[in-house]
Amino acid sequence: MAQVGSGDVAKMAVLFERHNRGLFRYFVSLNRNRELSEDLVQDVFFRMLRYRASYDPNQSFTAWMYQIARNANVDQAQKRRAEVVGIDEFDDRRPEPASDAPGPEETVAKGQDVALLKRALDRLPSDKKELLVLARFQDMKYEEIASLLGCEVGTVKVRVFRAMRALEEIYHTLSKERTA
Amino acid sequence: MNCEESKMLLADYWAQTLSETKELEFDAHIATCDLCRTDAERLGALWTSLSKIPAEEPSPALRTRFYDTLAAYRHGLEAAPRASWKERILALWPRQPAFQMGLSFALLAIGVGIGYTARPGVKPVEPETQEVAALRGEVTNMRQMVALSLLQQQSASERLRGVSYAVQVPSSDTEVLSALLKTVNQDANVNVRLQAVDALHQFGASPVTRTAVAQSIGKQDTPLVQIALIDLLVDLKDKDSAPELMKVSSDEKIDAAVRQHAKWALGKLQ
Repeated sequence: MAQVGSGDVAKMAVLFERHNRGLFRYFVSLNRNRELSEDLVQDVFFRMLRYRASYDPNQSFTAWMYQIARNANVDQAQKRRAEVVGIDEFDDRRPEPASDAPGPEETVAKGQDVALLKRALDRLPSDKKELLVLARFQDMKYEEIASLLGCEVGTVKVRVFRAMRALEEIYHTLSKERTA
Repeated sequence: MNCEESKMLLADYWAQTLSETKELEFDAHIATCDLCRTDAERLGALWTSLSKIPAEEPSPALRTRFYDTLAAYRHGLEAAPRASWKERILALWPRQPAFQMGLSFALLAIGVGIGYTARPGVKPVEPETQEVAALRGEVTNMRQMVALSLLQQQSASERLRGVSYAVQVPSSDTEVLSALLKTVNQDANVNVRLQAVDALHQFGASPVTRTAVAQSIGKQDTPLVQIALIDLLVDLKDKDSAPELMKVSSDEKIDAAVRQHAKWALGKLQ
């Protein structure tokens, strides 16, 4: 990113190849909408190009990139909320997960537990879900997450523990529903 | 180690980032505490299972779109400094027929004026340098008019063009400055607001700009614009904005990232 910041914008392609899947997974996990997530990934790389001069090489690139990603997601959510209000006031303003119920192929290939876990993760409150996505899927260090969220590292670790507890509760509830 | 302390270490335990000493302490605790051992094992198993959730892959169209955008961006960057005089003059030519007609009349009037003063046997009324200055003045006025008109348009892309015209007028132009500040505070489109913030760099010498920029942070509803405004104040080295930044950094209603950025800016401006 330092090279991009100093004017070599072609190097952005290297960053794209390295991070586009991670960013896509981050957005899909939060929004459950593939098309929107692709738009957001595109938006993040465009914003990185635009604000490349503001990148400080002494800070974590991953934390900087996810800061931009969070802002893009917040902006998008505000925009969507504004569009949804007035169209359907009974709408819960969250798109239904495209694959909420486990498909037969997935059940056979991955086992029902993974499909159930995916559903449990989808039902977590967004702040807890984001934390687990960053820590588990994006392999971000707790220090980087703390820098991103603007809190202490110890706070992040406690929140991870609480998020896992909440995930477990939802998972068990879903398990009981399935066996009932 | 007590149960409370062990919970603080669970996240590191699952991520396998515990130091050797801490891991030994943790193992010793869970060997004697059934409750913590159950937490570590049960939630640990769930933590491991999370990695089995298949990652969703973006479509190939994302890559195509990215490379198209990057190519266009690079082309824009490369073309800008190498534009010929002809291209630069053509770029000044407005696209809307009304402006084209206005500019045509202005150029005709200038041509007639120059022709009259340069006719044989008549001593020029003004020296040549004054004529060039007058011509420059006309072009500047035209840019101002185009910028102000485009900033009023319905279409966001037209307003973006208006901002790009605004950066070409002299920094002393208070009318354009006022229009830009209005755009920053009221435009419905985030991209237009961001572009207008960038354009305000040129007007940074004016205390009016600095005060308005500092006051605008609290009025914005988008963290991105708020951060861009804070960056502008840092670029302008505006120490007078410290009280406003202090207010932003402690306002709980404002996004945490913005508050943190305001604190960073306060450090920079000290």
